[in-house]
Amino acid sequence: MSTNYTYDYIIKYIIIGDTGVGKSCLLLQFTDRRFQPAHDLTIGVEFGARFVDVEGKKIKLQIWDTAGQESFRSITRSYYRGAAGALLVYDITRRETFDHLLIWLEDARQHSNSNTTIMLIGNKSDLESKRAVSYAEGEAFAQQHGLFFMETSAKTADNVEESFVDTAKDIYEKIKQGVFDVSNESNGIKVGGHLQPKTLPLNTDNGNNCC
Amino acid sequence: MKLSDSTVSRLDETQRLRFERCLNKFKDVLQSANIDLDALRNLNWLGIPNELPSELRSITWQLLLEYLPCNADRQVKTLARKRQEYFEGVSQAYARGIAGLDQTIWHQIHIDVPRTNPGTILYQCETTQQCLERVLYVWAIRHPASGYVQGINDLVTPFFQVFLSFYIENYDTSCLPKNVLDVIEADSFWCLSKLLDGIQDNYTFAQPGIQRQINKLKDLINRINAPLAAHLQKEGVEYLQFAFRWMNCLLMREMSLKHTIRMWDTYLAERSDGFSVFHLYVCVAFLDKWSDELKTRDFQGIMMFLQSLPTAKWKEQDIELLLSEAYRLKSLYHEAPNHLSRV
Ligand SMILES: Nc1nc2c(ncn2[C@@H]2O[C@H](COP(=O)(O)OP(=O)(O)O)[C@@H](O)[C@H]2O)c(=O)[nH]1
Ligand SMILES: [Mg+2]
Repeated sequence: MSTNYTYDYIIKYIIIGDTGVGKSCLLLQFTDRRFQPAHDLTIGVEFGARFVDVEGKKIKLQIWDTAGQESFRSITRSYYRGAAGALLVYDITRRETFDHLLIWLEDARQHSNSNTTIMLIGNKSDLESKRAVSYAEGEAFAQQHGLFFMETSAKTADNVEESFVDTAKDIYEKIKQGVFDVSNESNGIKVGGHLQPKTLPLNTDNGNNCC
Repeated sequence: MKLSDSTVSRLDETQRLRFERCLNKFKDVLQSANIDLDALRNLNWLGIPNELPSELRSITWQLLLEYLPCNADRQVKTLARKRQEYFEGVSQAYARGIAGLDQTIWHQIHIDVPRTNPGTILYQCETTQQCLERVLYVWAIRHPASGYVQGINDLVTPFFQVFLSFYIENYDTSCLPKNVLDVIEADSFWCLSKLLDGIQDNYTFAQPGIQRQINKLKDLINRINAPLAAHLQKEGVEYLQFAFRWMNCLLMREMSLKHTIRMWDTYLAERSDGFSVFHLYVCVAFLDKWSDELKTRDFQGIMMFLQSLPTAKWKEQDIELLLSEAYRLKSLYHEAPNHLSRV
């Protein structure tokens, strides 16, 4: 039995988008604050975690980084369900990764929980000279579909922190408003031990455990 | 074929004699006009010591994959024909240059090859990358049922490395004459094809072969290590979350390439199901091996641990232990009726 409940909330994320757009590099930059130019190819899913602070609350983000190749879609779909936050990533230097956004979005909407916060990310903003998708286009797409939007660079770390944290802020706002049923972990949120509202029916098996 | 001078100079007398004896056993089998594959399997199962000439592994692997014929008279001709067939396949596919390729497949392979063994010079050099790109592309267009699936890029590298070492010791592809490199490429292509023929449903739609293997892994862990199975379940760890990669890349991501090559000596000696059935038992033994460590960890700890297992320190003996444990488990549980194998 683990006794450390040193977090107020655990929030689960999923990172999706075409292969090669920089999903794994974004995760590594966020969790380890470094850039690995030749990152290993992601097979299936990879896991990462880090604490962030939102309004003084200690929030542990547990993040699934997925393989983007079409062949793995049936495997990676099963990770949508348990995610409260989704980062949908495209590469600003490759038009087709932007063109595929609708497919990704449909997939996400169909398989995830309706309250999932989705952040659209145009990555590789350091490669301005190779830009193939303008900032305005990304922003318009996000607005049209009700997504948050940011351009990032996993290489320079520009906006990486912000994209993860702003997503967490929105989710935390929803938690405060009671949008999520936080007693059900399958919604991608878990409440830390000392915050658990006593009135909620809790699964006593793992109620206080660090996940 | 004999031990190289540089090898001999590193060995003491007993070691030298031992490796010479081992080499002679291989030679006895290989020098026959019609090679006895079962005898070769028995030798190969135990692994080919790295002290033996590197061309030995190249030859035995090609024989065990039934790429190189057992009949000595047919060997030269068959190889020439197969290589020619591959070169023609390449020229056909690339007849209109890169622009004439299927762009989706090509682009995927093109961005994946540089992400194959990113830490190794051999795989970062352009000559190597172009070879791998062609092998993968030609394989993909010839196998539309699966196409190129990420992870297959890893599977070609043991072949490339072993066949390359037939020609050079220090793995610098840029200094090799083109015709030699072409031959390595063609042989890698055919051997990769043979390997994948046996595990094709790992890579077809929804990857049913992998799903099945993962279910069996879970079932076997339930039987042989119930406390571990219970702990994983309690922490909410699903086998798919870590074992998918074990199956999709045949544990290559969890081992060094050198150790993978040693594992394949045995896999190839296990007849046609080495990369499926035997591999499953290797995965069972592998997970079981970390049991004590895993049982002290929570969900996050388990995931982080399984994602970067401490195998970098592994020695050849660790691989051998793993393989013999897998062998033991397979003889106990494979095709054994459930009522006999349940504890
Ligand atoms: N210049 C630049 N390159 C990047 C950036 N993010 C990723 N890359 C490169 O893009 C390639 C693919 O990145 P990876 O994280 O493996 O993509 P994934 O398939 O989406 O996980 C790698 O070669 C990275 O070096 C970025 O922000 N800027
Ligand atoms: Mg990735």
